Parts: sequence; C-alpha cells; structure tokens
Amino acid sequence: MSTSSAISVQGLTKDFRVGLRGIKLRAVDNLSLEIPRGQVFGLLGPNGCGKSTTLKIVLGLIPATSGSISILGSPSATSEARQRTGFLPEAPYFHKFLTGRELVQYCARLSGVPAEKVGEAVEGSLELAAMTEAANRPIGTYSKGMLQRIGLAQAIVHDPELVILDEPTAGVDPVGSAAIGRMINAMRAKGKTIVLCSHLLGQVEQVCDRVAIMDRGRLVLEGRVDEVLAQRDRHVITVADLTPQARQAAEAALAAHGATVTSITHPRRSLEDLFRELVTGSRDA
Amino acid sequence: MNARLTRTSWIARITFLEAIRQRFFAFLLVLSAVMVVSSVSLRFMDFGHSELKFVADFAFGGMFLFGSVLALVMTAQLFFAEIENRTALTLLAKPLSRTEFLLGKFLGTWAVLGVFVFSLAFLQGVILWSRTQELIVLAAETGRVAPDFSVSGLASFAVLQWLRLGVVAAMVLMVSAVARTFLFTVIVGAMAIVAGQLQWLAQEALLKPSDASVVTKSLLWISSRVIPQPPAV
Repeated sequence: MSTSSAISVQGLTKDFRVGLRGIKLRAVDNLSLEIPRGQVFGLLGPNGCGKSTTLKIVLGLIPATSGSISILGSPSATSEARQRTGFLPEAPYFHKFLTGRELVQYCARLSGVPAEKVGEAVEGSLELAAMTEAANRPIGTYSKGMLQRIGLAQAIVHDPELVILDEPTAGVDPVGSAAIGRMINAMRAKGKTIVLCSHLLGQVEQVCDRVAIMDRGRLVLEGRVDEVLAQRDRHVITVADLTPQARQAAEAALAAHGATVTSITHPRRSLEDLFRELVTGSRDA
Repeated sequence: MNARLTRTSWIARITFLEAIRQRFFAFLLVLSAVMVVSSVSLRFMDFGHSELKFVADFAFGGMFLFGSVLALVMTAQLFFAEIENRTALTLLAKPLSRTEFLLGKFLGTWAVLGVFVFSLAFLQGVILWSRTQELIVLAAETGRVAPDFSVSGLASFAVLQWLRLGVVAAMVLMVSAVARTFLFTVIVGAMAIVAGQLQWLAQEALLKPSDASVVTKSLLWISSRVIPQPPAV
C-alpha cells in the first residue's frame, strides 16, 4: 500500500450472487491499481466492465469480496478517507425542491465544513462550477449540463484532495462538456487528484495524464496517456531518417532539396482506436 | 455542534422539507381534519359515554388511523426514494455513516408526524373548547354539572400519539433497512402495526398456564417481547 498514491488498490475482487441459486458473477477480478497524487486519471472500459463497481468499492458504498484499498494513505470506507474525497455519481439526481445553493450548503455541512466557513466554501465551488448565476434557482429547473455542474460543485465544496467523477459529461452537449473539461483542468492546477470515468475518449485523451482500461473486470492496460498511445514499433519521420548515418544522409539529401529535419517522433494512434482494440467483443458478451 | 449531530440534523432537515411537500401528507392531513371536525356532528352516536369523551376518542382514533398510514407509507417512500433516485449514493459517499443517515431519516419523518399530530390536536382543542363553552351555558340553564376541558390533558394525549407514531415510523424504517422493495416494506410494516396492536393477546396467552408446545410458546414470547407495541392512548 503506497502512501504516495491517491488510491491504492491491491488484488481487488468483487463477486455478486445472482438469481435464486446464487450463481456467482465476478464483476471485478483481482484488480491492482495505483493512482498517483496530483494527476488526472482516466478509468475506461465498456459498459459492465467493472468500472462503477470498482468506484463504489473505493468509496465504501459496497464491500469487496477480497483485496484491499486505501485512499490517500487511509483505509477506504472510513470517515477520514471520505472527508478527503469528493464524488460526482453518474447521472446525478438531487432533491428538486432545493436551490443549487441550498444543495451545495447541505453537502458542505455533511462533508464537515464548519458553519463559519460554509458561505465562502459554497461560493467558491459555485464559481468554479460556473453556477453562481443559477444558484438561487430550484434544481428542478436545471438543464442536464447544469445538473452535472451543480453535482461537481457539491463534490468539491469541502475542498477534497481526491475528486472522483463518474461520467461527468454523460448527456451533456459539447459546449457543456468542454466547460466540465476546463473545470477538471482548474482542479488539476490546484493540485487535486481527479479520477475520471468516461466514454468520451477524446475528452479523456485531452484531460488525462494517465489512463487505465478495464475489460471483463480485469485491468488490461495502465500507463501515461502519451506512453500508451505511442506505437513504438513504428516511427513517423516528419522530415528525416532514423539512424544517425541515415539521418545524416537524409539531412544532406533533404538539405540538397532545401528541406530541414525539425523533429523525430513516434506516431500516435487515437485513444479510441486503442480502446476498441483492447475491448473488442466484450460489449456482446 | 458535534459533527455527527450536525450531519444527522441536516439529513433530518432535508427529509422534513421533502416530506412536508408531499401531496400524500396534505391529503391525509385534510382527511384527518375533516374527521376531527365531523366528530362534533357524530356526537349523537356516543353510546352512552359523555359527549366530549366521544368527540376526543373519535378524533384521536382518526388521528392514529391516518397517522399510522402516513407513518407507514411516508417513511417507506422517503427511504426508497433515496435509493431509487440514487441520492443515497451521493450522500453515503460523504463522511456520513449509515446510522446517521437512518437516524436523520427517522427524525425528519417524526418531525412531520409531529406537525400532523399537533395540527390536528390544535383543531381538536378548538372544537372541544367551543363545544365545552356551549355545554357550560347549557348546564347553567338546566342546573346540571358543567363539563370540564383540560388543555394539558389534550396536549398529553397528543404527545402520546406522537410517540406512538414514532414507534411505527421506527419499525417501518427498520424493515426498510433490510427490505429490497417498497411494497414488501409497506406490507411487513402494516403487519407489524397490527401485531403490535394485538400484542396483549400474546401476552395473555403467554402468562396463562397451558400445555402448549415449545414452538407455540416461543412464537408467543417473540410476539409479546420482540414486536414493539405502540404505547396505548
């Protein structure tokens, strides 16, 4: 268990018993994962791959069958760990009769923000979520994008070190999605660790430092976005050659034709292609 | 304020605000109020008891009947709404224990039941007081003994009704915590209310010397000791 990790998952397994005969369904299979502090971490996978189950176990909402989890060095599911964690569930639903500001105040008090600091904390999180103007409207009048943004405000009102976002852009239009992307970047700039579960691979590629891909309950890939997307068996020659001799010859040849070598880099495939390649067929399983 | 107390009181506050807005609450409150008011019109059916006692009994009977329905359905509905709408997911991911969540739910529900009981008790008090004034005038004219109406007595009865409904709400919440569906909770909760009302039968049977089997005696013991009996009014 690493204390430098925001989340440390060791050998996590979760079985569900389904039906009258109690047939075992393995949702998460021996998952080990280290999520470093201060980074945006993308947890990807097709529907039913065990992402949400993993997040629920991490948050202590359901028990694990086996394995251990720590959050910021403390065992998960403890009050101390939750105090330092913010969570935005998928498709959040809040009491419609409350105004946005009342909801964030309510969540601030539940998260342990002292009464004398609630006002400042609420206004700060509403501002970050760009919800200040609509904060006095009942939640029942909010659009889908506003619901996600007020959900984000309630998740960060107690200034957590770790923020877990489950599908924060689900059903949100591209403009709202871009706004949520900016908020994630703003939180990263403040040194927060963000765990992002999303199907919008383009957005994940843009905002995440590291990604993990799960399939059928197992971890199939984990690493820095730049590393996992680079195809190291191939090279993109933007201007010149690979070997020094060839490069020299190429540079000379190119120079003879008026061209110059500016960089040598690895070609990239899109995160979407990588995702499809890794999880092929699991959707139909 | 202690952090646990703060969290519990906020859950109770939001539960109260949610419940007080429910149409079901308004419907039962109006229905019960109509019953309390109609008790004056039905006083000719007093079966030989004093008129004021009949009015009070009739009104408190309605208060308990509709209050029990309210406690049963509203408590289960408020609990399962949190699960089905997944608001519980957001709340329980915070440093909030399940005990605090359940206690907050109970206190919020009980506060709404308090509004229900004390609103009706106030209405009942107004009716009893006005009828008492009429009977005092009538007694002075006919030379009979004037009836007496005790406000503190009515308040005591109302508090006992509130406690009684609190026991019902607590039972339903206990069932909700282990049940999977709203319907199951309502049915089991209703059975527990009926069993609680008939508990004296089990107590009498248990105390009587008999040659009943161990199984029967065990069931009687469970019925009389484990199932909570709402305090009688």
